[in-house]
Amino acid sequence: MTAAETIRSAADRLAAGGDSKPRLARDAVNQPMIRNWLEAIGDPVDPRGQECPDTAPPAMIQVWTMPGLHGARGGDDPLGVMSALLEDVGYTSIVATNCDQVYHRSVRVGERLAVQSRLLDVTGPKRTALGEGWFVTTRSTWTSAGEPVATMDFRVLRFRPELRKPPQGDATPSALPGVPNEVIRPVVSPDTEFFWAGTRAGELRVQRCGDCGMVRHPPGPRCPSCGNMAPGYVVAAGTGEVYSYVVHHHPPVPGKKLPIVIALVHLPEGVRMVGELLGAAPDQVRIGLPVRVEFARIDDDLTLPAWRATSSTALPPRAIDVTPTFVISSALATRDFQDVHHDRDRAIAGGAKDIFLNILTTTGLVQRYVGEWAGLDAIFRAISIRLGVPCHAGETLTLAGEVTADDGAERVISVIGRCGLGDHVTATVRLASTGNR
Amino acid sequence: MRGVAAAIVGIGATEFSKNSGRSELRLAVEAITSALADAGLAAADVDGLVTFTMDGNAETAVARELGVGELRFFSQIGYGGGAACATVQQAAMAVATGTADVVVCYRALNERSGRRFGQVTAGLAGNLTTVGIDNGWHYPMGLATPAAMVAMIARRYMHLSGATSEDFGRVTVADRRHAATNPNAWFFGRPVTLADHQESRPIVDPLRLLDCCQESDGAVAIVVTSLDRARDLPRRPAVIAAAAQGSGPDQYTMTSYYRDDMAALPEMGVVARQLWRQAAIGPADVRTAVLYDHFTPYVLIQLEELGFCGRGEAREFISGGAIEMGGRLPLNPHGGQLGEAYIHGMNGIAEAVRQVRGTSVNQVPGDGPVLVTAGTGVPTSGLILSAE
Repeated sequence: MTAAETIRSAADRLAAGGDSKPRLARDAVNQPMIRNWLEAIGDPVDPRGQECPDTAPPAMIQVWTMPGLHGARGGDDPLGVMSALLEDVGYTSIVATNCDQVYHRSVRVGERLAVQSRLLDVTGPKRTALGEGWFVTTRSTWTSAGEPVATMDFRVLRFRPELRKPPQGDATPSALPGVPNEVIRPVVSPDTEFFWAGTRAGELRVQRCGDCGMVRHPPGPRCPSCGNMAPGYVVAAGTGEVYSYVVHHHPPVPGKKLPIVIALVHLPEGVRMVGELLGAAPDQVRIGLPVRVEFARIDDDLTLPAWRATSSTALPPRAIDVTPTFVISSALATRDFQDVHHDRDRAIAGGAKDIFLNILTTTGLVQRYVGEWAGLDAIFRAISIRLGVPCHAGETLTLAGEVTADDGAERVISVIGRCGLGDHVTATVRLASTGNR
Repeated sequence: MRGVAAAIVGIGATEFSKNSGRSELRLAVEAITSALADAGLAAADVDGLVTFTMDGNAETAVARELGVGELRFFSQIGYGGGAACATVQQAAMAVATGTADVVVCYRALNERSGRRFGQVTAGLAGNLTTVGIDNGWHYPMGLATPAAMVAMIARRYMHLSGATSEDFGRVTVADRRHAATNPNAWFFGRPVTLADHQESRPIVDPLRLLDCCQESDGAVAIVVTSLDRARDLPRRPAVIAAAAQGSGPDQYTMTSYYRDDMAALPEMGVVARQLWRQAAIGPADVRTAVLYDHFTPYVLIQLEELGFCGRGEAREFISGGAIEMGGRLPLNPHGGQLGEAYIHGMNGIAEAVRQVRGTSVNQVPGDGPVLVTAGTGVPTSGLILSAE
């Protein structure tokens, strides 16, 4: 059997085996650990850092059953078994990529949780930015006295690290050999000059015939409706909605860091226009999304029109200073003792530029960010996390969020966390509506 | 095109590869030589040449290599793959008017080992021409590849019709199934499943890798002459029952985003109306069709625009293997450009000729007419070929 066949057949066997035996948490849900977590993840001036609630923060669910510093996963733990097998055949590095937690109810101090896991999926070998690897997805269920309280689908990438060249500046996908790192410039004719002069001046100008009123984009020298050879223009309000859109992954595009969302925007003036949709998580974009124009200045001569989702429901952004102390204390407070989260030498040996945040902390930060906005009585139903680039010590992580749905019963908040290298996390949080906001 | 008595009498091609190792001019000459041999004609019989504006081989250069002395008719057709069937249309018109006797249509390209159309060619937005200016509304914003330009249409089409990525994948599955039994296809012996399609990586969402045609090196040539002369030649003539070009209202090249209904192909509607009228048939009479398949979503939209089904109904039309061999309308029996090769639509015309002759490796039974279309998203063209 080839290595791939061995992996697949082991995966089939494990998946068919169903849930592992329930493994009891070492300790009951307790205030010291909650307090440690709040201290590490929370803001020092956050009053909830001082007083300890008698229910655990929902994002702590995984913390209660982490194996610990010297602990081992159960012999039938599917992630442990698949990991060991993949490591044996050369996939020596591991990184968490997704974490989807669903909370059935909050857990109280004194409850002793148990966890059991089963293998959902193993796919590979896949080419990834980190190297060739396999994605392993497991589903864990936490129970309290037999009652399920939360589930989590967790995906990791087990990969064979590729030798990396020393970093040179800010490498972006469009800095690949043969692809110029500058945006493609439009050629400008006497018929289109007014448009580009407008973007330089911060105006979105749409051709509008002074005689018959016909609006038109892209523009031309003649009004096709009435024949006027000097049609003129109007300054658009700068609003619109997404009429169609794409998410560009391949191949590299000069001057763009992929993936990007490019939208065809319908303007209330009655025309459509193509532009990059800035700051949008691809899975949050939809046809009909309200957007507002932005002017992306390239240099003195060129300013590109671009778009950003508008929202009266945006959460205030929040910057977090990711110090080494923060990375280490939050990793330990989430009982994650992987060396890459506290040992700089080991992290660098593994290809990182420094220690970096663990996924349990990122999940906690997302919960804290949304919780601060939603209020103490917010009921978290689910947090779904997708990790992008690592967030290293020394960087600033900026969280931004937006309410993307609110049907009266449930609010959905999308969160993006960016750091120096790009998007560190995209998350979707579901809150039971409490009616106080 | 009414009452034109012209026919395709020869087809020729090189092998289809990813690295021909030869010049595009040599590929053109090889394909034309093979097509002339197939037709039972000599280079000296040729007095007309037609190709694409995108082809790198001028008619004069090709004529020099072939040893064709004088040319009475030569023409290049624009708009990328939209030119494919129009090369045959122009050849037929030249023959019908007596402008030329034997016209060869050709397309030769090292599209994989040379310039790859799927990559960003910044220079296309750099010329102070209407094309350059049109591209200036898209390329600087990052919309700079054919896949991206089609994806924008595909998303809107999905929104309006309810079609899904899996529906697009059914086109891939059909093409690759047909290619799997075509020894000349790059993907000979390599069918794919819908699951393979769904697992293929995103290129420009909603398009996945397996929604995109191949990149190929190769050449195809087609020999056209009058039906009278065709009757004296060795092959069963593929009569050009209809041939048409079309450009729609508010037409752009790949970015017709500004017309009222953008999830459509009105330019193909222009072609379709002419084809049905000229051939005096309707969609129900078509035995098999070679629909241009550089990207799968446009196959669905073409089916609607050509009248095989109603607007938004293509996903139902293609379900249940309807477009595979044995189905109600087998599409692209050679494997299409996803399965056989991407020769800018010209290999599809060659397959239609084989279907009329009854010599395809995936022969669709019967002797009814065969439809061929050219590039989508651009001003385009189409043909109906039939047995005499």
